[in-house]
Amino acid sequence: MDSTEARLDRIRGKVPPRNHNARTIAALSSNPGCARRAIMDAAGADKQRLAAHAGFPAGFGQSQFAITRGNAFEAQVKANGCAELLRLLRDQLRLPIPEVSYDNLEEVGGDASRELRHARTRHLLMRTAASGRDAGTLFDHPLLRLEVGGRAVYLEPDLIAFRLNGRFHVVEIKSFAVIDGQADGGKVAAAVIQSAVYVLALRQLLAELGIGPDAVADEVILVCPENFANQPTAAALDVRKQLTVLRRQLARLQRVDTLLDLLPAALTFDLDPDPAGTPRRPAADLADAVRAVPARYAPECLASCEMCFFCRDEARGATAALGRAVRDELCGVEHVASVLSLARGADPGPGELAEAAQVLRSAARLRQEGLGEAV
Amino acid sequence: MAESIGALEERIELLRAQVRQALVGGNRERASELRRGLREAERAWHDALAALEQEPPEQQRPRDGRLLAGAAEGNARAQAGSAERGLAGPAAPPRLQLPLREQVHQALTLLTVPASPRLISAVHEALFAGAISTARLTSLRRDEERSFLVAPFARPYYLCAALTADLLAPVRGLLSVSTWPMERRVIGPLSPRVDYLTAAIQIAESVQRIPGPGPAAWRLLWRFAVNIPGGSAQAGEVDPATVARAARAEMEIHADADTATRGAAAARARRQLGDPEQLFGSRLRAAPQAGVGA
Repeated sequence: MDSTEARLDRIRGKVPPRNHNARTIAALSSNPGCARRAIMDAAGADKQRLAAHAGFPAGFGQSQFAITRGNAFEAQVKANGCAELLRLLRDQLRLPIPEVSYDNLEEVGGDASRELRHARTRHLLMRTAASGRDAGTLFDHPLLRLEVGGRAVYLEPDLIAFRLNGRFHVVEIKSFAVIDGQADGGKVAAAVIQSAVYVLALRQLLAELGIGPDAVADEVILVCPENFANQPTAAALDVRKQLTVLRRQLARLQRVDTLLDLLPAALTFDLDPDPAGTPRRPAADLADAVRAVPARYAPECLASCEMCFFCRDEARGATAALGRAVRDELCGVEHVASVLSLARGADPGPGELAEAAQVLRSAARLRQEGLGEAV
Repeated sequence: MAESIGALEERIELLRAQVRQALVGGNRERASELRRGLREAERAWHDALAALEQEPPEQQRPRDGRLLAGAAEGNARAQAGSAERGLAGPAAPPRLQLPLREQVHQALTLLTVPASPRLISAVHEALFAGAISTARLTSLRRDEERSFLVAPFARPYYLCAALTADLLAPVRGLLSVSTWPMERRVIGPLSPRVDYLTAAIQIAESVQRIPGPGPAAWRLLWRFAVNIPGGSAQAGEVDPATVARAARAEMEIHADADTATRGAAAARARRQLGDPEQLFGSRLRAAPQAGVGA
């Protein structure tokens, strides 16, 4: 019996795994029923390459420009022992002046391996939570861990701040601007969910050390540039609602090995690249392999998953592809073709759809009266 | 003939390094003894050059780019007079700007604390001759380390690393000067803030001192003023005396704890680390397996 790791490695193919991060976990928990995404993310497959090779490239992900700008802003906020961030935290958290201690967890003695960084993060946070004289204040690039689908995933929030006799706060630094107190709602929502993932991970880490969840605040500090200059501003955001949703969705995420048991043992998404890196596997073959894992497409996938166009094409003709609201309006009938035939009245349909057929026929009649054209 | 000049130059370099070390170690008699030897070697070198002048001009010595050779040549050129110009090839054009490491040294000497490339560049632009490209600074520390390993203490100073107080590893992104005491070059948890405040004080005093600080200097000072409580008395205005006063006030709060941490770390570094590690930090290595597996 293969171990889960070995099976996932085989599915992924001969490339190094891509890491989960808070963004992928947030997206995954918004669509917990999608086995395809769960398997691909657990295996660390490069969904962008797979989608492109199967013939459905997604023009997706952050632009290089946005990534560079984000890094530059983060570097500016954290420069000189987090000088600008301290100003904001002294304002937002009423951080007392003597608390300025800064610990960098990006590498441990020149070694940047994840296990080492995680061990040191645990050590420092435990020492801080004991609130002794050595309590730290700012922890830069901490490395947390979270159980997702039965596997441990490493997560790296931007920063964790701690106030003596107070609580830990997750700090997220984003480069979208807050103009006159308003920011892009979608981006803020995404930032909030990602931060909720970090709060969950931090609470889990502290729980392993015997410290209760109250040690981590429900409020996350979001740092963004203000107006049109690059001056950072901070806001405290409540993530309790997102935490509840997240906890529920993560619990519902089926364990990955259960999903793997349902799949053929020889399944692989390997692109079989030649020495130059060009994939040699036929696209149709790859598409068949991907289709062997069931998906659950919804229009929300277009905003969060690189396989979206592939799955949408596959789901064509199913009402689920139109979104849950539309599907409910169509009385839950599964295929667009059935909806149309019921509405036209040509086919009375099976007994259990009698009510649905009636609703759809009246809708068709209304449409004909209103628009003057038949369905 | 060329060999003996080369050998003399090497001896001169060695003696100079030894003189410097003796002075730093406080050993005056040894220093004067070495100085006497140095003067003799230099006299012999001048004589050899004068003798060489009578012969037809030599082939230009190949510049192999090694820093030590370059330093020796540079020193030789500086020491001898116009006599040597025919020897070392065409004279270098008068340089309008100092070499990169000198510029960085200038900025760090003003700040008196370890600093990031961005801050060094900003200080140099505001208070000296112009901006330093931060891209060129990224490889500087590595180049200095290589130069040090080739010929330890051959140069009067090296641009080296700052060390973390807990593991004595090099701190990413900070440059410091090798001639500073160890206490200034270790970084404890409170040290980033203390060094930031010290830098603010130094910059404020420089702005007060120099006759016509340009807008870059005021901008730099303002960036410090807004991040120190009490640094800017009125919004939009920045006054160097206020900034310095506010920085000193906050520094008082952190100074004792920080000094204690740094002192302990410096003592440990001097005890446990060799010369290269004291300057450039030590990294974690896997401990050798002890004993034979059962």
